[in-house]
Amino acid sequence: MTGWGVLKSLWTVLRHFFMTYVDDFRYGPGRRYRPEALAERQGAKAQGIFTVQYPRERLPLPERSRNLPFLVEDATTGALRCTACGICTQVCPVQCIWIERAVDAETGRPLRRPAQYHLDISLCMGCGFCAEFCPFDAIKMGSDFEVSSYERPGFLDATQLARRL
Amino acid sequence: MKAPVNLPEIPPELRGNVKLISFDTLYNWARKRSLWPMLFGLACCAFEMIATAASRYDMARFGMEIMRASPRQADLLIVNGTVTKKMAPQVVRLYDQMAEPKYVIAMGACAISGGPFKEGYNVVSGVDRLIPVDVYIPGCPPRPESLLQGILALQARFDHENIASMRAFQKTPDEGIPVPLLGPDLADWQTLWLQSHPEMQVAPELVDEETISQPGRIHPLEPVPFGDTAKTVLILQSRFPRDIQPLEDGLLVSPSKILQVADYLREQLSYRILSNLTAVDYPNPPEDIPESCIDVVYHFSRLSGGGTVALHTRVNRTEPRLASLTPNFPAANFQEREIWDLFGVRFEGHPDLRRLLMWEGFEGYPMRKDWHEAYFEAEHKPYRSRFPNGSKPRSAESRSPFRANVRLPEGWQPAEDGIEEVDRLLYERMLSADRDPAKPLGTEELILNFGPHHPSTHGVFRMVARLDGETVQHLEPVFGYLHRNHEKIGERNTWLQNIPYTDRLDYINGMTNNLAYCLALEKLLGWEVPERAEVLRIIMSEFSRIVNHMLAAGFLSNELGLYFTGSLYALEERELILDLFEAVSGGRMMFNYMRPGGVAADLPPGWVERARELVRERLPQKVKTMQTFLLDNDIIQARTLGIGVLPPEMAVACGVTGPVLRASNVPYDLRRADPYGIYDRFEFDICTRQHGDAYDRLALRFDEIWQSLRILEQALERLPKGPVQSHKLTPLLSVPAGETYTRIEAPKGELGFYLVSDGRRNPYRYHVRSTSLLNLTPLSAICRGAKVADLVAILGSLDLTLGEVDR
Repeated sequence: MTGWGVLKSLWTVLRHFFMTYVDDFRYGPGRRYRPEALAERQGAKAQGIFTVQYPRERLPLPERSRNLPFLVEDATTGALRCTACGICTQVCPVQCIWIERAVDAETGRPLRRPAQYHLDISLCMGCGFCAEFCPFDAIKMGSDFEVSSYERPGFLDATQLARRL
Repeated sequence: MKAPVNLPEIPPELRGNVKLISFDTLYNWARKRSLWPMLFGLACCAFEMIATAASRYDMARFGMEIMRASPRQADLLIVNGTVTKKMAPQVVRLYDQMAEPKYVIAMGACAISGGPFKEGYNVVSGVDRLIPVDVYIPGCPPRPESLLQGILALQARFDHENIASMRAFQKTPDEGIPVPLLGPDLADWQTLWLQSHPEMQVAPELVDEETISQPGRIHPLEPVPFGDTAKTVLILQSRFPRDIQPLEDGLLVSPSKILQVADYLREQLSYRILSNLTAVDYPNPPEDIPESCIDVVYHFSRLSGGGTVALHTRVNRTEPRLASLTPNFPAANFQEREIWDLFGVRFEGHPDLRRLLMWEGFEGYPMRKDWHEAYFEAEHKPYRSRFPNGSKPRSAESRSPFRANVRLPEGWQPAEDGIEEVDRLLYERMLSADRDPAKPLGTEELILNFGPHHPSTHGVFRMVARLDGETVQHLEPVFGYLHRNHEKIGERNTWLQNIPYTDRLDYINGMTNNLAYCLALEKLLGWEVPERAEVLRIIMSEFSRIVNHMLAAGFLSNELGLYFTGSLYALEERELILDLFEAVSGGRMMFNYMRPGGVAADLPPGWVERARELVRERLPQKVKTMQTFLLDNDIIQARTLGIGVLPPEMAVACGVTGPVLRASNVPYDLRRADPYGIYDRFEFDICTRQHGDAYDRLALRFDEIWQSLRILEQALERLPKGPVQSHKLTPLLSVPAGETYTRIEAPKGELGFYLVSDGRRNPYRYHVRSTSLLNLTPLSAICRGAKVADLVAILGSLDLTLGEVDR
C-alpha cells in the first residue's frame, strides 16, 4: 500500500523518541546524571538518550586511549627517564621529535640523557609509535584532549612535555 | 578613568525585575549561544565533527543546532582537515562570503600546520596562512570532546569582545582576503608579496647531497610460479615469445605490444578486470634495468578468482609515450590520467588526457623521483637533523624561500585570467563531450558545478554537469581537492611509518587499510601471522565493514533529504563500535593497530564480552530498525529505484568492485575470489542484487551487514589463545627486495597496495589502488540522462571517501 512504508519509518522515529521516556520510568528519577548511570546509558543495552553531557560529565576513556605524547618524569628524582637513545626520532612518521644528546663537558663522551628534547605538537599525528618503541617507557601517549589554544601550537620543550606519573 | 554614570531611579514596582547590564555583555551573551557553524568538511577530522554533531556529543547543546551549508548563513568555520593547494582558493572564497563577525577554528594537526601531510607538494602548511584563525585544536584527529572544548574556548573569548573595537564593526570596510591563484604553484597574497620583495625571502638551505638519488635495485630472479596465474604466464610467453620477458613477479612487455597483450588477456584468458595500473620511476636504473625509464605496471584479474597477472612495460623518461588502454579497458581512464599527471607519461589514444589530481598548469610531474617539493629535506626518513644533534628544531617553513610549501619560478607573474587557465581544458571537454550530432545545440544548456564544497559530495569532490533543462547531458568528476600526496610521502617514510598514514586513506575504515598494507608487507617479508592475530584481524575488518555500510546508508538518506536523521541511527552504532576499537587500539579513528606479523596489542580484559553483547543483542535489532526505516520507506524507494543503473558489463569493464559491483549482480568478493587471511574458514555468503540501481546498492549494504554479523559470531566464538605478534619489530625494518600487489576486500571494494622494495628501509614505490576512485569511473556514464536531483542519490549510493579517492 502506498504510504505504508512512510508510516512505518515515521513510527520508527516516534518509537525512538518514546523509548527515551520509557527508560526514565524504568530507572526512576535522577538516573540520568549519576556517574554510575553513564556506563549503562552508553552500553549495549542503552535505549534512551545517548548524549554525554560534556563538559558536565565525561566519558571514561579506555586505558589505551591516546592523543598526544608526553615525557615521563621519575617520581623520586624528578629527572626524565629519557636516555636520548633516539629511537623515537627514528620511528616518528612525521619526524616531529628533535633530540640533542647531552655530552660530558670534560671527556666529550655522550651521556645517557637529552640536553634538549623538542616535539612539534602541531605536527604530531598521535600514532603512538614513539611510546610503543621506546625501550625505557620514557615517552608515553597521554589521553588528555582538552588542549585547544588561541595561538598556533608549536615546539614544546622537555619541561613542557614532562609529566610525573 | 570613566566618569561615574548616574543610573536612573528604578520605580519601586519594577525593582527586582530589572537588570542593568552593559550592551556588550548582552550582545556577547546572545552571540555566544547562537554560533552557526558551516557544514564544511575537508578530511578525516570532518568525521569527528559529524560525530560531535551527532547524538552522543550533540553540539546543539551549545546553541549550534543547525549547521549551515551556505557560508552566507554561517559565522563559524571549522576547518577540519588538510587544506590542499587546490582547495585553498575555495576555502578563502568561503571565508570571504561568511557574515561578520566570523570565527575560524583550526581543527586537527593538518589544519594547524599541514600536520602529517605537511611536506606534501599539494598541502598548505596551516590554514592560518590563508585566513585568520581564532582557536587551534591539536590532535590527529581531535576527539569530539576536544572540538567541544575548543568551541567553549572560542565562546569564552566572546566575553572580552567589545562592539566598538571589533573587527566586524570598523568604519573602514573589510575588503576580504584575496583569493589565492593556482599557477605553477599556489600563489597566495603572502607568496606574491614575498616574490616582489626578495630581500624578505628566507635563504634556502643546502640539501644534504648524499641522501639524494641512490639507484634503486630489484633482484632479477627466475620466474616463480605464483598460484594459478603461472599457467597464464606460460601461455602468454608462448603466444608472444619475442615481446615478453619474464620478471620476478610478472612479465615485461615491449611497449608497442601492450595493447595486443592486454586484449589477448581479456578475450582469450578472460582477464576482464584491470585491477591496478601505476608506474614506477627509475631515474638511476638498477642493475637489471638497462637504462633510466618509467616502468608502467598493469595488474589484471579474473572474475572467477585467483591471483593477478602483472605486466610491466618500460618507456623512456625524456618523452614517455604509451598506447592507452582506456578504449578497451575503461578502468584505465582515471589511472592513466593519474600517471600522466604525476609521472608525465602521455597515453596516446586516451579520450580525455587531463591532469587528474593536480591542476592544469602545475609545474612538473611530482611523483618522479627527481622532483622535490619546497620542503624537501632528504630522500628518506629518518632525517639526520633530528638526532643526536637536534638542538635547533626548525620548522619546515624556515627552509623555503616563501616560508611556505611553495615554489614559484623566478619572475612568474599571475595572468589576468589565472583561474580560467586551470579549468580551461575541463570546460572545453564539457562543451564538446557527448554531443548529439543530430541536435548540435541543446536548449537551455547550462554548466553546473557541484562542489568542491557541497554537503552532498561526501567531502571535497567536484562534479561539473552540462544540463539540458533538468537532464544531465554530460558529467565530469574533478578530483584532487584532497590530494595529500600520500604516495610521495609514503616513499619517503620507512616501512613501519606508513602504517599510521594508511589510516588516513579511507578514514572510515582505518582497520582494513592497515590490514591491506600489512598483508602486502608480510608478503614481501615472508612472515607468518599467529592464529589469534588472524582472527582479531577478521573481527576488526568486519566491525569496520558494519560501520562503513551503516554510514553509507545513513549518508545516502542524508542526501535524499532526510537531513541528519538517517545518519544519526548509523552514528550511534558507530560510536559503540568505535568504543571497542578505541579500547583495543587507543584511537577512535586512527587505529594504527595492525602490524606486519600480527597486531599491535592483544584485547583488553572484558572486550570479547562487550563485543559479543553488541553483535548478538544490539546490532541485529538496530540494523533491522534501520532497514525498516530506510528500505521500506516509499520516499527512499521513489528516489532510488531505477536510478543510476550500472549494468554488470559496464561495472566489470570500469574496474568497479565491492558492494557496487555486487549490486549489479556480479558475485565477486575477494574474500572468496582471492582469499587472504583465514576467511576461507568462515561461513558466509556473497550477497548480490539484480538490478544495479541506487536502491540495490543501498539494500545490498544491509545484506552484507548481516553476513558480517555472521562472521563476527563465528570469530568471537572461536578466538584462540596465543600470541598476537610473530616477530619483534624494529623501528628501521629492512624489507627484502621485490615487489607485490596485495589486495583485500575492503568495505568499499578492492583495496590494493603495490609495493616495490629495493631491499632498504624505505619503499621504492608505494602505490595505493584506491577503491573509491575506481568506483567512480562509471559515474559519468550512469549519470547521463539522469535528473539533477538524482546526481546526489547516485553519488551517495556509490559510497566514496575522498581521502581514498585523492590520496
